[in-house]
Amino acid sequence: MSHIYSITPLNELNHRKDKLLRLLFLMMIVTLIVPVLIILGTLIYKGGSMISMEFLFTFPKNGMTAGGIFPALLGTIWLVAVALLVSVPLGVAAAIYLSEYALDNWLTRLINICIINLAGVPSIVHALHGFGAFVIFAKMGTSILAAGLTLAIMTMPVVIVATKESLQSVPHAFRVACWNMGATRWQTIRRVVLPNATSGILTGIILEVSRTVGETAPIMFTGAAFFLPFLPEGIFDQTMALSLHLFVVATQVPGVPDALPYGVALVLIGMVLILNSLSIAFRIYLRNKKKW
Amino acid sequence: MKKLVFTILMAAGLSSIPFAANARVMLQNKGSDTLVNVAQAWAEEYQTVKPKIAVAVTGGGSGTGIAALLNGAVDIANASRKIKSKELKMAAKRGIKPVEHVVGYDALAVYVHKNNPMKQIAIPTLAEIYGEDGATTKWTDINLKIPGCRGQQMVLISRQNNSGTYAYFRKAVLGKKRDFKLGTRDLHGSKDVVDLVEHTPCAIGYSGLAYATDHVKMACIAKTKGGPCVNPSVASASDNSYPIARPLMMYTNGAPTGHVKDYLDWIMSDEGQCIILKKGYAPIRAVNCK
Repeated sequence: MSHIYSITPLNELNHRKDKLLRLLFLMMIVTLIVPVLIILGTLIYKGGSMISMEFLFTFPKNGMTAGGIFPALLGTIWLVAVALLVSVPLGVAAAIYLSEYALDNWLTRLINICIINLAGVPSIVHALHGFGAFVIFAKMGTSILAAGLTLAIMTMPVVIVATKESLQSVPHAFRVACWNMGATRWQTIRRVVLPNATSGILTGIILEVSRTVGETAPIMFTGAAFFLPFLPEGIFDQTMALSLHLFVVATQVPGVPDALPYGVALVLIGMVLILNSLSIAFRIYLRNKKKW
Repeated sequence: MKKLVFTILMAAGLSSIPFAANARVMLQNKGSDTLVNVAQAWAEEYQTVKPKIAVAVTGGGSGTGIAALLNGAVDIANASRKIKSKELKMAAKRGIKPVEHVVGYDALAVYVHKNNPMKQIAIPTLAEIYGEDGATTKWTDINLKIPGCRGQQMVLISRQNNSGTYAYFRKAVLGKKRDFKLGTRDLHGSKDVVDLVEHTPCAIGYSGLAYATDHVKMACIAKTKGGPCVNPSVASASDNSYPIARPLMMYTNGAPTGHVKDYLDWIMSDEGQCIILKKGYAPIRAVNCK
């Protein structure tokens, strides 16, 4: 008589199935990582030689077939800064309302549906909206302000959703404890909920930055130029931007050396990666301070 | 986070301080994708002539540029086609008086794959290839056999319909009323046309001479079937012997004054015209360049 715990053929089959599935899921992860590595590898291989202080900090030359990308790089920083300054306060405030104040009624549900829909609007539609609303109607002209506002509207849902989720992940017991000490709702939010939700909010903001840096369509009509011989000096100036510059040198200008578009792409992706790693480092630091 | 944002802003602000010292005059220049590279070169070079005048250049197509002029959004609109009567009517309604300035000429080349044995092509043949209801759909229809082209089916490459290149080709080759054949691939940019032809043995496409590369072939163009043909070149565009060359224009609202006039005068000068020549377009007159 066999032992009661000996492996039956069914056990073995299940075990093999398990192994197979594990391998399958592992392969799926690998197929996800491979394109990232290939993209990065290609960019570094083909564009790495372009990267130099001169490339980063000088103007394009000879009909944009030589020289650097400084106006585009600086322009992208301007656009991101304006977009963040507008969308972060608004988005965080909206999320605080939705998470901490709003009652579960038709108005709240309507607002939530609107936010989800806003997140689903294609960027080219945001571009046309920004052109109509900011450039023409509000008479801002094609400017950093108009482009930044367009980007802010486009990326606001990301901030709202991320903030809302991180606010809601703060245990309810924290709030109850605080209220029982006699704190008001706002005091609770200010002193307890927000500090404990910072890392989540930060994730949302970084996601927003990554998306803002790469967007081309919304800024094409609203603030980005093919070429400018000067650096932007304020939010009412037009600007060049890295993403549009990449499109231009890759498809519009004849006689561009092969490495140049790869170099621009490398800087663009490098910016996103640096920002992402900064935020990850900051989040790890914050997580260590978490109290639960 | 706030600190980070402020740091970014400070960095952006600080880095532009050295340039903020002198007041700057902005000229807005927008339109034709054909002209955009020349316009960019002019804007870049004009910095060395008048550092305080900054010309902002944007592409988008001739239609986009003229629309912006009618909106009062630009000082100079670039166009590779004449302003349409519809646009003139709209301009009149808005109190804008478009004034045309011819700044150069562009030969429109017909591009085919490097392995294509075609040497010359007549405009009526092109019309049968590109025109609505045209009979020619295969390379064998015009007695050519392209190596590497499956089925010898022609791949027609065209441009998006707000492009001046599109409008001019339609007028000059198909005739005013005739439309393009359905099924053309309409690309967004002069360079894209040449790039796609380079990689497609079956392809035929049209684009500015300035976008020519060593990897594609340009056809010699004859006005009539069996007639003499002219190769596209800056010289044949200038002396009007090339049959599909068009003027490149800049439009201003009213006769130009002040800085706009200075800029246009400089574009027309030898210095400005040498830049357009260097970019592969034909200057408005013979110029002596170094």
